[in-house]
Amino acid sequence: MENTSSDIRQLNEKIHQASAFVDLLTMELGKVIVGQRYMVERLLIGLLAQGHVLLEGVPGLAKTLSIKSLSSAINAKFSRIQFTPDLLPADVVGTMIYNQQKNEFVVRRGPIFANFILADEINRAPAKVQSALLEAMQERQITIGDTTFKLDEPFLVLATQNPIEQEGTYTLPEAQVDRFMLKVVIGYPTKEEEKQIIRQNLNPELSAPIRPIIQPGDILEARKLVREVYMDEKIEKYILDIVFATRNPEEYKLNKLKPLIAYGGSPRASINLAWAAKAYAFMKRRGYVIPEDVRNICFDVMRHRVGLTYEAEAENVTSENILSEILNAVEVP
Amino acid sequence: MYKQQVIKRIFLWCILGLLSPFSLLAQQAVDVTAKADTNSIRIGEQIKLQLTATLTAQQFKDANFKVLFPVLPDSLAHFEVVTRSSLDTSINQDQHILHQTFTLTSFDSGHWEIPPMRFEVFTGANAAPDSAVTLPIGVDVNTVAVDTTKAFKPIKAVQTVPWSIWDYWLYLAIGAAAVLIIGGLIWYFKSRPKKEPVIKVPTVTPYEIAIADLKALKEEKVWQQGDIKQYYTRLTDILRTYFEHQFGIAALEQTSEELLQNIKPVTKLNQQRDKLRSLLSIADLAKFAKLQPTADEHEGCMQKAEEILEWTKPKAGPAEETGSDATLEKA
Repeated sequence: MENTSSDIRQLNEKIHQASAFVDLLTMELGKVIVGQRYMVERLLIGLLAQGHVLLEGVPGLAKTLSIKSLSSAINAKFSRIQFTPDLLPADVVGTMIYNQQKNEFVVRRGPIFANFILADEINRAPAKVQSALLEAMQERQITIGDTTFKLDEPFLVLATQNPIEQEGTYTLPEAQVDRFMLKVVIGYPTKEEEKQIIRQNLNPELSAPIRPIIQPGDILEARKLVREVYMDEKIEKYILDIVFATRNPEEYKLNKLKPLIAYGGSPRASINLAWAAKAYAFMKRRGYVIPEDVRNICFDVMRHRVGLTYEAEAENVTSENILSEILNAVEVP
Repeated sequence: MYKQQVIKRIFLWCILGLLSPFSLLAQQAVDVTAKADTNSIRIGEQIKLQLTATLTAQQFKDANFKVLFPVLPDSLAHFEVVTRSSLDTSINQDQHILHQTFTLTSFDSGHWEIPPMRFEVFTGANAAPDSAVTLPIGVDVNTVAVDTTKAFKPIKAVQTVPWSIWDYWLYLAIGAAAVLIIGGLIWYFKSRPKKEPVIKVPTVTPYEIAIADLKALKEEKVWQQGDIKQYYTRLTDILRTYFEHQFGIAALEQTSEELLQNIKPVTKLNQQRDKLRSLLSIADLAKFAKLQPTADEHEGCMQKAEEILEWTKPKAGPAEETGSDATLEKA
């Protein structure tokens, strides 16, 4: 149905009111998480856009604390799975156990039955375990024995990867990485932020416990509104231009990128870019998407979807470099 | 009786004495020699055997006078013929010397003789051939002393040929020639007179283009016809293109917020920041949120655009600030 001007104005007002919780949530999380606003923002985008987040960063950057705090603030169930080389799919999704008293097999649900999952060091587990998790992420349901169980909504997986210590790891295949809406690379906090972190840890009374701000149902309502955020045809074209420039850079006068890109973004990249842009617009309390929204989340949506050639790796060209070139070449509507 | 016998003998001696010079002349008609360069070789070594026939100038000129050199087979007794040179002639005063050289070798140890060489001499057209014969040459063929008490020595390894620059002279010559040719070409292309650069005469400035485009947008009455989105798209594009050409800001590839950030270094443009922000905000709402601004807002945005252009208009002369290609040729 075609949106009219008055519809968008109403939607804008509605979203302006409904998205107020985002600021409250950010403030609440700020009580325990110093800095890392970028990561918290990306977690909320994933939550609102029904996407999952792959976090890459060295240990000790408050990844677990962030998602744990987020689940507390939403009053949702949190579960953490530490991926190890001896982990089995049943350890993640659950299994059938024989009950001697009842003389029957009963389902024992795995840790994946929660709203927020922290899949810590996902690249340490073998492919079959990764695959079990990633299938659950995609289908949002689990089949144990003959029974299929719908996973609770909201369902957000935050997987972490350690960029160092690559020995003995099972790198996620490109097809699996593509299932993550965002790949967020987080860095160290600033000096001032780290000083605050030290103080908070030395005096626990300085940091108040997280209070539930909203309920999981509110998130589901917010998701409905995110779906309604207006995206103009010009923005759609802009998204397509960016994704197509990763596939056919020569069509955008970026011939120099052609030998550096092994493969470009998939249609899933376009879908996720649109979803994430809408979620970002919602968080900025707008009922419509502007080019800034697309640009803001573009790196996180696209960085793991642009494959680099050996030539690019030899020249130390990263996917971020390629995306920067593309964003500087594609005309903004 | 005895006296008569003595007289007969004296008479015969006299006749012989008178005839002997003629017989000697006949024998010395062609002087032939065979000469070896050595009389002692080690087994397998080679000997140069030179056969020579010496003719007088008169004999040489005589068409009927011929000397045939001996034809040596490949193998003589105890000697092998390795090579034969062709017949050569040299002149020494009144003598014409014909000579031919043979290379001989021998694999039989001992003292051997190179046999006498027979030359055939023809003195006339119908004359019977005469012969001239050389003396035999004795040659000692010595064997190599082998100490049989010692063990056999191993075969020597392959020896490398010593490097010599002359082995590569051709390549060096080609390389030197190539360097000279390339050097010559470089020198030629560098030293030849360069073409005068074509100076483009600036005809229209970015400012003039922008003003003309704004005028055209006004005259087309785009917003009056209800195409609000198109109106704001063109309005912002005119400004962005102007910024790009006048100040070198890649405005067409930047979002509104980025553009407002990137105009900061351009002082004159930054002074109009608020106006630009207001214009871009309304334009973004019209373009991406289907906002229908009022007629006053349409006019207001156009006026702001004109004011920004007027304020940032370059003075007469070269472009100010960071202008990249401040003047453009009319397409």
